[in-house]
Amino acid sequence: MSRQDIDHRKDSESQSLLTRFLQLRRGPWENLATVIIAVGTFMLMQPFYLELFTYSFVTILTGTVMFIIVSHFKE
Amino acid sequence: MDDSSTAQRIAKSAAAATPPAMARQIRGLSDRAIAWLFVTPTIILLLAINIFPLIWTVYLSFTNYRANRLNREVEWIGLRNYERVLTDTDIWHTLQVTAHFVGWTMFFQVIIGFGLAWLINKQFRGHSFWTTLILLPMMLSPAVVGNFWTFLYQPQIGLFNYIVAFFAGIEPSSFQMIGDVNLAPWAIVIVDTWMWTPYVMLICLAGLRSIPDYIYEAAEVDRASKWRQFWSITVPMVLPFLMLAVLFRVIENFKMFDLVVELTSGGPGSVTELASINLKREAFEKWRTGYSSAFAIILFVTVFGVANIYVKALNKVKQR
Amino acid sequence: MSAASAHSVVESKPWTRHLAGGVVILYALITILPLVWILMTSFKTPPDSISYPPKVIFEPSLEGYVNLFTTRTRQTPEYMASLPPPENWVERLVRDRNMVIAGPSKFGERFLNSVIIGFGSTFLSVFLGTLAAYAFSRFKVPLKDDLMFFILSTRMMPPIAVAIPIFLMYRTLGLSDTHLGMILLYTAVNVSLAVWLLKGFIDEIPREYEEAALIDGYTRLQAFVKVVLPQAATGIAATAIFCLIFAWNEYAFALLLTSGTAQTAPPFIPTIIGEGGLDWPAVAAGATLFLIPIVVFTIVLRKHLLRGITFGAVRK
Repeated sequence: MSRQDIDHRKDSESQSLLTRFLQLRRGPWENLATVIIAVGTFMLMQPFYLELFTYSFVTILTGTVMFIIVSHFKE
Repeated sequence: MDDSSTAQRIAKSAAAATPPAMARQIRGLSDRAIAWLFVTPTIILLLAINIFPLIWTVYLSFTNYRANRLNREVEWIGLRNYERVLTDTDIWHTLQVTAHFVGWTMFFQVIIGFGLAWLINKQFRGHSFWTTLILLPMMLSPAVVGNFWTFLYQPQIGLFNYIVAFFAGIEPSSFQMIGDVNLAPWAIVIVDTWMWTPYVMLICLAGLRSIPDYIYEAAEVDRASKWRQFWSITVPMVLPFLMLAVLFRVIENFKMFDLVVELTSGGPGSVTELASINLKREAFEKWRTGYSSAFAIILFVTVFGVANIYVKALNKVKQR
Repeated sequence: MSAASAHSVVESKPWTRHLAGGVVILYALITILPLVWILMTSFKTPPDSISYPPKVIFEPSLEGYVNLFTTRTRQTPEYMASLPPPENWVERLVRDRNMVIAGPSKFGERFLNSVIIGFGSTFLSVFLGTLAAYAFSRFKVPLKDDLMFFILSTRMMPPIAVAIPIFLMYRTLGLSDTHLGMILLYTAVNVSLAVWLLKGFIDEIPREYEEAALIDGYTRLQAFVKVVLPQAATGIAATAIFCLIFAWNEYAFALLLTSGTAQTAPPFIPTIIGEGGLDWPAVAAGATLFLIPIVVFTIVLRKHLLRGITFGAVRK
């Protein structure tokens, strides 16, 4: 029994990031949403390109909505 | 009047008709009922005073409404306000000003705040007294304090100019912190750093104190150098706390209003015009309600997005 | 968490401790200098306050405080000579400047507004917050995490963003520039902090106490009132002080939604005007009176400060 448990844990640890994405786990998706929000915030406040500023709101909105959805995925 | 008396009569007759056992049951409400009873007032208040206005803002952001012209017909203009805001170079400029303010205040507050926490954690004599003294600025009213800082920044008579000039060996009237286009953005950074460094410090201190001594003792046994210990134990262990402090300050400074309005009110020109100050101008001085609502929603969604990350950081620290 | 472990390797050497102490004390002295300057300026005369170089040693005067609480008018020397001798020190102080007291200023009223709105909203938010926090702490509430986040997120809103529709809403309901309107508004902002903080405090009270009370024949409500509330008293007090400080310091809503009857002190103090610009001693006097309660509260609260600024997440 305990042997199996250990094996099982090893399994889930060795799972690639991709499979964890596909399994709709909370962790990696939340990180992705965080990155999108961060990128959007950068686009909003950067002084370089007006186009980036123009599309920043859509980016932040996407990230935020995504965050709210994926935070309901199981751990 | 009539209604309430009828209601009372009904209640009375109902009470009379209720057998004592049931009355007791009503008095001893079920847990489920209590849960609802206790949570509902808060939720209703928040819905009425926060969420309803927010939804109204969303609606207004799709219209050309102007709050100072009540008789004008309100037209639905779709996403045009958003288009205008997101291609407006003035708004873009205020966000860059905000970025400068947020970026530099965070930089100074993290460095000074962490440094102070690290020093206080050495537990010198009387450290709790001095810590309390350092904490004072962050509890005070930003508007009142910000207003007084304009006095400290006066070129000739201000204490700040006098002290800086004394140490730099220049004339106190040779520079104007608030009036100068190049110095004003730094003037607001200085005051915000003065005010909120204690916040970062206090949370960092909690992080440092959460590190158990035995980790350092183990590192000592392994003969890890102090430098190594600092980078491989202290910093990673404090980082979640630091993140918490930084995220909260980023949110607060992103929407900063009171302190800077009283200090510079956005001037000179618009070099210290932060997003919130610009928004206040658009909404309450130019009365472009629809347009400013769109801008408000953009700011709100950004804050809300970062707040999500903040709560994630909060839960991470809580597990410790 | 005291430095009791004297033999530990973690203990720093005496000289590093002294050095650390020196740097921290230096920073503390610099950081309170502006506050000390506010206090000093409030006791200066207007000419002293704007002298160059800044005066550190000066003859203390109560002119700032007198100017704060009165409005005055300048008179001709002939008129001044025709007046009967001054009745008290306040009048004498004012007449030395060739002025007579015209009446009380608005500061007292604004300060009272701050007190009414501050305490009113604190009471309401702590009351609502305690109930909600108890429910969140003890019962299964559907979508608990989402509700908790929803409650917290309302505090994160930029005040100016919601101020537009609140301004319109209050205008329609006749709540703008009223005490009730401001109390409700500050309650809505503070209740989130109250719920989060108090949930932390109530979580720490063992459930066994209530369960014992329930077995003794108490109802849930009785157990809540007679067992949980007394246990949470310290937490409730700390939360109340935090709410009070927020309401006391709030500026943006007060600036946009009040103008006369319900205006609080923060938007008012910066507008105190003397002859030729701001009357700095009077401004400093107002600031001093306004800041002192907060300084006292901060010292009282210092053990709970960390909890308060992290919504109860960091406890020690």
